[in-house]
Formats: sequence, structure tokens, C-alpha cells
Amino acid sequence: MNSKKPMGQRVKEFVIDYKRQWEIQSMVIPGIIFMIIFCFIPIYGLTIAFKSYTVIDTLDSAPWVGLDNFRIILSDKYFWDAVVNTLGISFLKLAIGFVIPIILSVMIYELSGGRFKKIVQTISYLPHFLSWIVLGGMLIAWFSSSGMFNEILLNLGIISKPVNILLDANKYWWIATLSDIWKEAGWGTILYLAIMSKIDPTYYEAAKIDGASRMRQIWNITLPNMKPIISLNLILTVSGLLGSNLDQTLVLMNSQNRAKAEVINSYVYRMGMTQGDFSYATAVGLGVSIVSVILLISANKVSSKLNDNQSVL
Amino acid sequence: MNKAFGKKGLKLCTALMAVVLVFTGCGSKGSSDNSSKELRSIEGRYTIDPETPAWKLDKKEETTDLTWYVNADWWNTDFGKDLVTKKIKEDLNINIKFITGDDTKLNTIFAGGEMPDMLTIFDSNSPVVQKAATWALPLNDLADKYDPYFNKVAAKDTMNWFQLADGKTYGYPNYSNTQNDFDSGNIPAKTAFVIRKDVYEAIGKPSIGTPEEFKSVMQQIKKQFPAMIPFGFNSIGTGTGSLGDVLQDFIGVPMETENGEFYNRNLDEDYLTWLKTLNEVYRNGDISDDSFADDGTAFEEKLKSGKYATLMLDGTPQQSGNLQIFMTENPDKEYIAIDGPQSTVGHEPTLNQSGITGWMITYVTKKAKDPAKAIQIYTYLLSEEGQKLMNYGIEGETYKVNEAGKIEFLPEIKDLQLNNADKFKKDYRMGEFMFFGHDRDKALSNDAFADSIKQMQEWGKGKLKPHFILENINPAQGTPEARSLSAIDTNWNTTLVSMIRAKDEATFDSTLAAYKSFLKDNNWDKIAEIRTEKMKSNKEKLGLK
Repeated sequence: MNSKKPMGQRVKEFVIDYKRQWEIQSMVIPGIIFMIIFCFIPIYGLTIAFKSYTVIDTLDSAPWVGLDNFRIILSDKYFWDAVVNTLGISFLKLAIGFVIPIILSVMIYELSGGRFKKIVQTISYLPHFLSWIVLGGMLIAWFSSSGMFNEILLNLGIISKPVNILLDANKYWWIATLSDIWKEAGWGTILYLAIMSKIDPTYYEAAKIDGASRMRQIWNITLPNMKPIISLNLILTVSGLLGSNLDQTLVLMNSQNRAKAEVINSYVYRMGMTQGDFSYATAVGLGVSIVSVILLISANKVSSKLNDNQSVL
Repeated sequence: MNKAFGKKGLKLCTALMAVVLVFTGCGSKGSSDNSSKELRSIEGRYTIDPETPAWKLDKKEETTDLTWYVNADWWNTDFGKDLVTKKIKEDLNINIKFITGDDTKLNTIFAGGEMPDMLTIFDSNSPVVQKAATWALPLNDLADKYDPYFNKVAAKDTMNWFQLADGKTYGYPNYSNTQNDFDSGNIPAKTAFVIRKDVYEAIGKPSIGTPEEFKSVMQQIKKQFPAMIPFGFNSIGTGTGSLGDVLQDFIGVPMETENGEFYNRNLDEDYLTWLKTLNEVYRNGDISDDSFADDGTAFEEKLKSGKYATLMLDGTPQQSGNLQIFMTENPDKEYIAIDGPQSTVGHEPTLNQSGITGWMITYVTKKAKDPAKAIQIYTYLLSEEGQKLMNYGIEGETYKVNEAGKIEFLPEIKDLQLNNADKFKKDYRMGEFMFFGHDRDKALSNDAFADSIKQMQEWGKGKLKPHFILENINPAQGTPEARSLSAIDTNWNTTLVSMIRAKDEATFDSTLAAYKSFLKDNNWDKIAEIRTEKMKSNKEKLGLK
């Protein structure tokens, strides 16, 4: 650590290092400029969270209101409903949706190649490329009282009267979770399959000679090799816990499931874009960002503890 | 050499950062410039004449370039390529560059100060409209200085309606209906209770006016046409479809209390009786659950294929295409308007139409390079000449006036409109360039509306009643009351559907009670007070008692 060295020397070392690696360092410059223009300068706009801002004000001319917007948020029942729903849906997605791509990728990996493997992969990727507008429309049609699901259940004798479960608030979290898994699980396998293709085949050969079963090989060779990428994925997923679900919610939400369907993002969208309450929406967004950073850092801490102090950040 | 580049790189980076910072610093000034600059002189170009539109006088030779922002992504930005805009371009000697966008872009424009010459927005409740004095030029001043003829073509009531606190009017809308328009009978109704003709005849053309009749007719429809949805309504989404204020207007729920105060029409006994009826109809299985989850597309799909036996239909002109498709494919089965549900306490229907607030509101901004030209555009398009041009094109070239005095498209144009809509749009663009357009111009021709809705419009005659006093009465955006109101509206959306889907009467009542207590907890009294206040000022503006 060079933190004990005097400032002047540290700067000098930096300059020397920089000159030595200037070809490599300069590759970063466009990225830095991009970040400054599109990520850092707009941070100034966050000040409207502390102002009472309307469209025709400028960032400077809007009057300061201090923490008023945050105070209103804390006493807003709808906001807290949205928080509960966001967390509920996200944790369900995390608990189920995180494991399934891993299992799926191992299963695909274990398939003995050829046409069937390709078909399975392609089919599982497919929903990822459709937008929520399209998928949501399909779901609404399938769940309708004359739709596919009701037809099947009626014919199997499981239900006696068609029900539209999209109108049932209590089932919404599951609908959101399972439909999201349907959309993304296949796509999620790509990273894992890539890492698996890098595993040295001699490990497996050695294990086979030692008499390890298929399951044993997966457990002792495949999964440990996937560990770094799994933890990276986990960190990224956890930091996005509060920020997902907007498109899906906007399509699947209706007057009856709203209480369980409204998530923070759709709430911000509604307050900001449809109500024109920009200050309020920004304040919510700022709060969410702060919590997300905290989540990101703690997930990183946890995963580095689990991975022998190797962390991603 | 390497060293030199490294240093340069650092310097370059620093310089770039500085530029970026300065640039953004400047950018955010923009519209804070509130000083109302003197209107530029038109000396040498023309002398104003109250009897002649200024565009006929203006001798400016070079073509005026204008930028015009329209806050709608769907707006067709072409100018001067089709018959309508070509004529405008020639007559006014202008060239318009349209920019389109959504609310985000609108914000950027205001925040960045890159104001266009003219600007059109849609939401009359937005702060942009309320604070127009800070960024737009008053139409009154523009008319006085450049084009007094504007006062002849602009509707007085509409001008008064958009007047701000300083006594001046900044924006002018299209489809703004004044009391005169309502009285003239030129404005068609857009709401109707419709039934499929074959269904209506098969069940013996019964009366459906009272709750009892309504319930039994729905049962009868279900028995005779099991594949159909007995009763449908517009997609609900985040609003109330056609079961909220539309149904209230249909059965004539009063718009204010006897003392002229705000009246919560959602809690009107007459209306609640009908909601209770709908609940019973739902419990009988005559309203499909899907109707509550359908989006606009799903609703239109069902309408187009004639799935609904009866329908509370709002926005007939918007649905006329779908209705026409069904009608053409199924002759003698078309939807027709009948009297439908009626007030249980004897009120007459008070159907609504686009009110005095209108739809698209157009402004001349303070940054306008040639404000004289801008107000000439208003005058031109608002005049009879401009209105006919926008809707029907040029006499002799696209339309003629028949013996009955009605405007008729020439046969080849009509043919194009029916059979090659894309080419019609591209080459002519009639009825599409509708800044300052108006229903009264639609009344000039029988070709203005599709056949599928003519009977519905006929049915609606005499049932329209202006809702002027209820326009723009919501609390100002960003206030705590506005926030409460949005919560209340959301809650009402859920409550309404829950009441209709209630499994028994007790649930219906408890849902309603929960809504009432929600009102109490969310500042309802204060909102009602603000609304009453605004209703009063509406009346003053329009000279109503």
C-alpha cells in the first residue's frame, strides 16, 4: 500500500506509471469521457429531488424545498406497498430464477451434443428476444377465461369454472416470477455454458478413471469451476433487486392486482411521467439508487467471504 | 514522442472536461430569461388592416423558416410534400421544420433553452400551460400588432378560457367546443349504448331502461347467444373505461350540487344503483372477467369481431374503423345505438364531448424569429379557407360542393381514400393536418365520418350537454392535493372494478365503505374545496350563472 507515501511522490509515481502504459491507459479515455458526459454530469440533475420542480422551471430556478420530498415519500402508503412488492417479487425471482439457469446449463452441457442440444438451446433462448409487450399480450390471452390455461384446466377437470388469474392479486407475485423465468432462464445459461466449455476435459477423464458417477462429476468438477461466474452474476443480480420489473409490470398490472403488482419503478414512472411530479419521482429514484449501492457492496462482501477473499469489485 | 502524446492526452482530457462543464453551465440558463422583449416591427413589410388577413398583405419575399415542436411522437413531420401542406407553404411563403417528441423531450427543450418558434402540447393541466406567460407570446398582443384579423376567426369563449392571470391568452387549441358549437348541433355525440342488430331483433327489441329490465335482457341474451359476451365496455386500464363518468353522463348524474359546489358523482345514489345492477349482472355470469383485464387492443379485437352483444361504448369516432370492418363483413348485424340504461330518478342524459379545452394547444414562443408569420399561420388555419383546406383540400381539385350545399370528395379522391389509404395520406393528407381543426368543419360533409357510426351520432342528437364547469378543476400539479387526488383516482379505479366483481351485496357495500373512508383519509375535503373554487372561476370566465 502506498498510502503512507507523501502526496508528491504518489503523484510522481502515478505519472511515471501512466507514461509507461500510455497506450493501454489511453484506451480508457473515451470510456471516461463517456462516463463524465452521460453519467456524472447528469448527477447534477438529482438536485431536483430537493426542489419543487416543474417542467418550465430550470434546474437552477426551481425553489429549494430541502428534504420535503423524502418526508412525503416516507409517509406514502403506495410507495411502501411498491417497496414490499418489489422486494417480494425480486426475492422470488432471485430464489428460483437464479438457480434454474445453473441447473439448466448443466443439463444442456450434459446433453451429448448434436441436433437435440441445439434445438433445446434455441428454444430456451427464444422468449428472451421478445419484448414484454409481446409476451405480456400472450400471457393476457392465455390467462383469459377462454384462453389456453383455462381450457386445459377445464378439460382436465381441475377447475369447474374459468378464472382469470391475472385478476387475482394474491397470485400476481408468482405470475411475475414464473413468467420472468420463462423469459430469461434460457438466456441466463449462455454465460454458464461459456465457462463450462473452458473446463479442462482431463479433469473429467481423471474422475471417470477414479470411478466418479455423472452426478459426482457435476458436483466436484463442473460446479466448482463455475463458482466465480456464479458469484459475479449474484452480485449483479442483487444490486438490481430494487430496479427491475418495469416493463413486465406495466403490461401485466390491472385494476385488481395493482395492490400486489405495483413496483418501485412503475410507481416512479407513474409519478414522474404521468403525474408530472418530477421532484418526487427523482427523490424515489435517488433513494433506490442509494439502497442498490449498499446492496451491491454487501453482496460483494459476502461473495468475497465465500470465495476465499477474492472479490469482483 | 510517446511522452509528448501522454502529456497532450492529459491536457486534452482536461480541456474536454472544462468544455463540457462550461457547456452544461450555459445550457441550463435557457428559459429563465423572463424579460418580455419588444415585439419586432414589421415596417416595410405591410400595414395592418383589420379587414384583411395579414398573410395576404405580407410582402416579405424570402421564405420564412420556422421550427415547430409537436409533443407527439406520431405526428407526421413532412411539410410541403402533400397537397394540404404544399398549399399552406405557398400561400404563407413559409417552410416548417417539425420536431416531435414526448414529455421527456419537452422537458429537455425547456431545460436546455433551445426553444422552437412554435410549440404544440396536449395536456392543458400541465405546468407548461399554467405558466405559459414565462415562455410564450400573448396571442392578443400578436394580433394587435401584426394581424387583427385573428380576432375575427378566433372564438371569444376559447380565448377567454385560456386567459391567464395577466388577462392575456397564450395558446389556442383545436377541437375546442364553445356553447355556440353545442347549440349549433354540429357536434356529434361520441358516446352510445349499442347492441348488435341481429341480437336486438332476436330478443324482440325489448326496453333496457330500468335495472330489472337490464338484468333480465342480459340473461336472455346469454341464453340465446351463449358464445357472446352479453355486456361489454371500453378497456379499463388505469381509468374507468366507460363505466365511470361516461356511464354517469349517460344516466345524467348532476355535475354540481344545488349550491354550485363540487359534487362527487361517483357516490351519486342513482349511479350506485346502476353499479349494484352491474354487480348482479356480473354475478349472473353476464359480464366477462376478461373485460376487466383487456387492454385497448384486446377490446378492439373483440369489437371488430362482434363478440359483444351490448356495449357501453365511448369514443365512437375512434372505433368507427373497427365497427365498419364488422359491419362490412356482417351485413345486417351492425351495432346500433339504443336508449339503454336510464336514470332511476328521471334525469336526462348529459353526454360529454371534447370541451372548450379542446385537444392540441399551440403556442408562439418568445424565441420566435418571425412572430408576425407565426400569428399569420393561426389566422390562416382558423379561417374558413384554411379549415376547408385541412379537411377537404382544394375545391375543384379534390372536392366539389353538391346541390345540397354539402362538400363531396371528387370520385377519384373518394376512391383513393377508400382503397388506397396510404397513398391518400401521403399525397393529400386531408383531415390529418389538424392544428386548429374543428368538428364544425366535419359537419360540412357527409364524408367526414364512417357509415358505421352515423346512426349512433343520429341517436345522440340533443343529448349533449357541455361539461365546461368541470374542465381543468384538478389541483395544480406537484401540490399535496394533486398527490392525494392521484391516490384517490387510483383507488377509485380498483374500487369500481371490485364493486362490480363483488361476490355478494355485503362485499359490495364494504368495498364502497372502504372507498369512502379512503376519501376521508386522503384530504378529500380540501380537493373538493379547490375544485369548487375552480368551478366558480370557470363560470366567471364563460359568463355562466
